[in-house]
Amino acid sequence: MDGHFSAFSFVDRITRPGLHVRGLYQIPSGISEFPLALAAEACGQLAAWTAMATHEFKLRPVAGIAPVIELLTRVHPGQTLELEAEIESLDAEAVSYSAVAKVHGMPVLRLENCVGPMVALEDFDDPQAVKQRFELICNGGAVPGAFRGVPPIGLKFTGGEKGKNVSAILHVPAQADFFADHFPRRPVFPGTLFMHKVLELAGRVADDVPVPQKNLAWVARRINDSKLRAFMPPGGSLEFEARLAKQEGDALTIQVEARKGNKVTGHSKIVFRAEEQA
Amino acid sequence: MSNENITQEDIAAILPKVAEIIADALGCDVEEVKPNASLINDLGAESIDFLDIIFRLERGFKVKIPRGKIVEQARGSLSEAEFETAGVVSDAGVARLKEYLSEVPADRFKTPMKSAEIPKLFTAETFCKLVIRQQRAGAAGAGPA
Repeated sequence: MDGHFSAFSFVDRITRPGLHVRGLYQIPSGISEFPLALAAEACGQLAAWTAMATHEFKLRPVAGIAPVIELLTRVHPGQTLELEAEIESLDAEAVSYSAVAKVHGMPVLRLENCVGPMVALEDFDDPQAVKQRFELICNGGAVPGAFRGVPPIGLKFTGGEKGKNVSAILHVPAQADFFADHFPRRPVFPGTLFMHKVLELAGRVADDVPVPQKNLAWVARRINDSKLRAFMPPGGSLEFEARLAKQEGDALTIQVEARKGNKVTGHSKIVFRAEEQA
Repeated sequence: MSNENITQEDIAAILPKVAEIIADALGCDVEEVKPNASLINDLGAESIDFLDIIFRLERGFKVKIPRGKIVEQARGSLSEAEFETAGVVSDAGVARLKEYLSEVPADRFKTPMKSAEIPKLFTAETFCKLVIRQQRAGAAGAGPA
């Protein structure tokens, strides 16, 4: 099980277990970048540990619904994420939580009212191994630095009208290190990597929308109403379409939809703000 | 379980907000959310969407909705064995469903009906009634189910 708990695991240590769970994740300094979407993954994984422990490692949540994700500040290799999640409800069907990731006490990303549907843990992973990992990260923590970054996952742009819409195809890799961790018994393309690609595609539309002033640039600041409606297996492909939904003053909203044939498999609304370029 | 006490006026009072919540969850126009449209058959909802709708209703109406227990509520006093056998709803079960889901047109209750097909019956009005029941339970001090 090479890569298990290292290729796509983003909680090194749980400092306070329970419904107001706290944890830490040290971003390895040797990687080239750490997308903010992975800070969201870290928050979700922290909440998932509480959910799995509460259900005695019989159930685990998977990515589902994220009504609000605030993208506050970029994070960098070498930084330590301070993770906090408040479990709002937890039962055999779903976990609901809000969470924040901070660096040096300053929030870098916030999640509000996220919902993760529960699935049978044993269908996705070895419950005993997961339980042992939980005990490790609750008692001293895992050795940080195992994550080696994510491989480039390209979007193939297939068309669109400048500043209005863009379409693309996402080819989920047939093999990637993260599948060994997400998940060993049933590899699934992580929802947060999906989110990362959604941001990239939305950014492509925004780049061609004129900014209100010359010295400004569009910056993705919020993801609203994000939902994943299907698992994405290795080797699959999805058709994406991003379109400008609304532009008002210094804000614009780009709606992104992913389809597999006629079925909508995921959607999000990305809110950009016109900000001074750093 | 007092469906019978839920009037059309009660439903009409919250339907606009419920329809808006359903439309937001399904990414459709609110005009498409007709009171007795099947959320699955007519609006393409899936199980994750029901979860989404329930959580949005909870936040929107400040109630706690018993997730995964709609069918259990519908079953009422019938035992699981009386309600269904091998995934197929019994005649008594279908009769109970018709009573509980009185907003659903009678011709949508198939015979035989598989338990897994019950969510196909759910409409916007079904969720209105769900909210009203929980509001009443909360007001009566019974707390969430």
